[in-house]
Amino acid sequence: MSVNEHDPGGPIVRASSLGRALDAYGVPSLSAGFANRVVASAEARPAPLPPLRRTRRRWRLGRTFAIGVVSFGALATAATATGLLQQFDIPVPSAETVWARIAGEAPAAANAPVPALASGATEPTAVAKVAIVGPIDTPEELREAFRRIDEVRKGRLAVRNERIGQRIDSAIERRRTAGLPVPTAEQETALRERIAAAEARRQDVAEARIAARREALQRKIDNGQALTREDIGQPWREDARSLRRREALRRLPPEERRAWREAYRARNGAAIAAPVPAPPAAVLEALPDPSPDPNGRLP
Amino acid sequence: MNAKSDPSTIALPGICPADDAALAARLAAGEASALREVIARHAAALHRLAYRITGDAAESEDIVQEAILRLWDRAAQIAARHPVGSLAAPNLRLGGWLQRVVTNLAIDRLRRTRRLPGGEVPDRADDTPPADHLIEGNERDAATRALIAALPDRQRAAIVLTYYEELPNAEAAAAMNMNIKGFESLLYRGRAALRQAWTAQGDAP
Repeated sequence: MSVNEHDPGGPIVRASSLGRALDAYGVPSLSAGFANRVVASAEARPAPLPPLRRTRRRWRLGRTFAIGVVSFGALATAATATGLLQQFDIPVPSAETVWARIAGEAPAAANAPVPALASGATEPTAVAKVAIVGPIDTPEELREAFRRIDEVRKGRLAVRNERIGQRIDSAIERRRTAGLPVPTAEQETALRERIAAAEARRQDVAEARIAARREALQRKIDNGQALTREDIGQPWREDARSLRRREALRRLPPEERRAWREAYRARNGAAIAAPVPAPPAAVLEALPDPSPDPNGRLP
Repeated sequence: MNAKSDPSTIALPGICPADDAALAARLAAGEASALREVIARHAAALHRLAYRITGDAAESEDIVQEAILRLWDRAAQIAARHPVGSLAAPNLRLGGWLQRVVTNLAIDRLRRTRRLPGGEVPDRADDTPPADHLIEGNERDAATRALIAALPDRQRAAIVLTYYEELPNAEAAAAMNMNIKGFESLLYRGRAALRQAWTAQGDAP
């Protein structure tokens, strides 16, 4: 029986009719001289090509990639160490900041909320780039220096006004939250006007001082003298405490100095939105004080 | 379909593969006597395999010759992977490697033949009598040949490897570069088709 009716795909039994038929399939023998032909072909065959170096190729690719990664890392490290990135205004976080982000810990500086400036305010860091390369010895260069300084001052002034406004709002809000009397709309308007007037007077004094200083600088240029960075910039405070602090800061390692600078900036920025521990004297004096607080401080 | 360059671990029935590593080393050294030894050991079985898949004696000789020449070309690589005396040496089975190459070449030739107009294979001048002449006068043989030739290429190869060459399914699957499950499915369908064709011929009881 050649056909397995129950399993048509099952093994073929040799004793079956199909098996006998398959076994009858004869095979001719190889032709005479087959071996000689093959050997002759083999001997006449050109030498085979060398094998492809696939594993080497993979290694070469990997090595190229590794060299690229290491080179990029070395260049990036060198650029960071030399301060090149900061020259292009690319923020470089300190090691402590990076570790705090990885570990999920919040460093003291990072806890400070970022100040929310109004859209009209100019961020001082964005314009505070008064780079004077080489001595200034022409009126054009001096005008350019003054122009840049004015830009910075304008930005700082906008931030200062914004901070004053926010501190007033914050103080009023805290009083309202504490259930204390708050100034009426008229009182608040009068308060803001007084503060603005005080700020304007302060600016007038500062501008008079600046104008006198600029005249002196202009005279130097007119006399053919060259101005250095120290002549143009604000003079350093030379008291003993400032000297000691500058020297200590100078001796810090670059990473710690950078971290200190970041913390300082964060503290300055946080002062806007954080609870105000000590409002400016002008705000303090202007607010109505119905509570008999002996310290004269807002609750 | 190209054969893998890594030698198979399949051995042709009745052939001792113990000194295949030494034979490969001699082939790599270019010894013609080693090539003659390979032909003496494997050529007949390989020709039988190729003939039963292709049904053409001259074509089968070409296939066997091509397989042996490929072994000749790649002997250096094979010998380097299985140095004499190493742990890898006993695993070398030149017969299995050749069997895989012949199976794949035969299936390739069948497909190429089908693509050519008229279904004819361009053949070189050969004094070997055609297969038709060899089996002429044997009607039963011709009928069986027609039965097998009617099968699809890979089913035909599966039947030849398991029935005629008596390879276990795993080794036959390796010779066809297939996994065992796929091969068993292919073999099942081949056997079913063969039985159906046999029944249709009216020879079944």
